[in-house]
Amino acid sequence: MSAARVWAVTMRVLRQMRHDVRLIAIMLVVPSLAMILFGFSFSGDIRGVRLAVIDEDRTDLTAEIIDSLKGDPTFRVTELPPGQDPEKLLLSGYQAVVRLPDKFTSLYYAHFAMGVATEAHGTLHLWLDESDPQIAAAVRAGVAEALMDIGEGGPVEIEEHPLYGVEVRFIDSFAPAIMGYVVTFICSLLTLLSVVREKVDGTFERLWISPLRRGEFILGYVIAFGMVALVQSGLILGLGKLVFDIVINGSVFWALVCIILFAVGNVGLGTFLSALAQTESQAILLFPLVVLPSVLLSGMMWPLQAIPPVLRPLAYLVPLTYGNRLLRAVMVKGLAPWQEPVGLAGVLGFLVLTVALASVSLRATARE
Amino acid sequence: MEAAVEVQGAVKSFGLVRAVDGVDLRVFRGEIYGLVGPSGAGKTTLIRMICGLLGRDAGEVRVLGHPIPEGKRHVEGRLGYMPQERALYRDLTVEENLLFFGQLNGMPRGEIRDRIAEILEFMRLSHLAVHLAGNLSGGEKQRLSLACALLSKPELLVLDEPTVGLDPALRQEFWEHFHELKDEGHTILLTTHYLEEAGRCSRVGFMRAGRLQVEGLPAELQARVAQAVGGTPSMEEVFLFFARKGVE
Ligand SMILES: Nc1ncnc2c1ncn2[C@@H]1O[C@H](COP(=O)(O)OP(=O)(O)OP(=O)(O)O)[C@@H](O)[C@H]1O
Ligand SMILES: [Mg+2]
Repeated sequence: MSAARVWAVTMRVLRQMRHDVRLIAIMLVVPSLAMILFGFSFSGDIRGVRLAVIDEDRTDLTAEIIDSLKGDPTFRVTELPPGQDPEKLLLSGYQAVVRLPDKFTSLYYAHFAMGVATEAHGTLHLWLDESDPQIAAAVRAGVAEALMDIGEGGPVEIEEHPLYGVEVRFIDSFAPAIMGYVVTFICSLLTLLSVVREKVDGTFERLWISPLRRGEFILGYVIAFGMVALVQSGLILGLGKLVFDIVINGSVFWALVCIILFAVGNVGLGTFLSALAQTESQAILLFPLVVLPSVLLSGMMWPLQAIPPVLRPLAYLVPLTYGNRLLRAVMVKGLAPWQEPVGLAGVLGFLVLTVALASVSLRATARE
Repeated sequence: MEAAVEVQGAVKSFGLVRAVDGVDLRVFRGEIYGLVGPSGAGKTTLIRMICGLLGRDAGEVRVLGHPIPEGKRHVEGRLGYMPQERALYRDLTVEENLLFFGQLNGMPRGEIRDRIAEILEFMRLSHLAVHLAGNLSGGEKQRLSLACALLSKPELLVLDEPTVGLDPALRQEFWEHFHELKDEGHTILLTTHYLEEAGRCSRVGFMRAGRLQVEGLPAELQARVAQAVGGTPSMEEVFLFFARKGVE
């Protein structure tokens, strides 16, 4: 591994971009446009939100509420015994926790017995993971509906315990998704085109004869596109701040680290895909393969719960699903990357897998 | 004499086409070896096999004493290759193309700058240094491509039709340069369609239908043809003689 050769590849890729003014324009306009256009809300029917219910009162009334929640396809309800820490439950994978406290029922009926003048009413406690506002909204609506079902729609107070302190709007959770999407798009597709062009133009043969190693070639691309990803992420964050006044709860530093990891995986993916195309036209026809699943299945536009259950397993094969999850955890929830192990493992696994595949496919390309 | 390139029984087929059909070839250090032959004879295929760019169905290839592809690492950087297609980065300038290939071959920065200036001067490309390679004329691309192969002054140069499309004056200069390189101890394996160029090689091989039909010193081959048909044949007549001989 020679740093000079890696750097030669990096600078070459950047120089090629510099000479292509239109490409630079596109690279800056795409993320801006994506951020602004997609900044409007999307909605699908949300199904199967993981809801934990803790019933401390155990009366007919609370049983009725729980049955009603269970009958709502929005939720996948798990009943848990009293004494659990709701915040821990949220961190362990539940998206919402409902607690019906002791005396809920007696306070509820006390209200009816004593008339409107009383302060007494049942209180339902709701813990919410607000990092996805669409899910949070669906949970609120579902819980309200379950309370309506018990009859009078009596005055039950819902006491909310938002996990991340601040209220998260749709747009706040959308910035990380757009960042992940733009990086997927630019890094994997530009790498794909660039490598295919090396094959078409024959420059690849010159590289193969030079002392350049495959690892150096990949690393050179990774550094160049890592820089591009950083600039684009900065642009998205800046625009988000200026135009939409987005709130970033987490560390921008960790967000950028994560975006770079994700960019590396995408450069690997682009290099790997280049083995499937002999011409630039073929390469362009591979684009939807990358773009469509990322848009439709990654949880970027709508939460995974809004994806039909048959397709949901596929969502876990889409790299952006993990990229999104990780970036949202870091930027919206303010967690460190390792506190979102699934997202982090997904992104790292993607990186290792694609870089290994890229290396193998370059070897195959080099010798017919 | 030590061989810079050694090929034994090389065979390569593409589907039903036997592009290279059992070639034995030795190129000695410090000579200019010219491969000539009609279009489709398999010259490019043979050359790409020697460079390790193409697998083979049978046979052995050694370059600078190392088996290919196993010993590829020992050859890298010591072999300069000019492909038949131009193989340039269209979206880099002339200078940047050279800079990149220079860096890849481990040339120190300062040296690259000087060497680029020198080779651009020689190739009559100095005034185009900051032009995009994609916008060059055919002959200019050709010269840049050759410049990329010559830049780091490798021991062994493998040039696929280096002079095609150049005007006669420039061709003349190129050949003088090739001989300078040869005198400095470089080895050159090239292909050409210009038969008067074949006469300027140390040795010539005639390739036809995937086989190396005859090889030898240009004067030797001329003498053989003279014996058969009489007179003083030009290289062109020598070529036609051996090309026809293949058909019979
Ligand atoms: N990648 C390939 N796939 C299929 N056929 C090929 C391939 N490369 C070469 N051939 C065939 O092999 C034969 C030899 O081709 P080659 O390019 O070696 O000829 P050449 O002697 O270099 O010709 P020219 O003087 O025109 O450059 C031709 O018939 C060609 O069509
Ligand atoms: Mg050829």
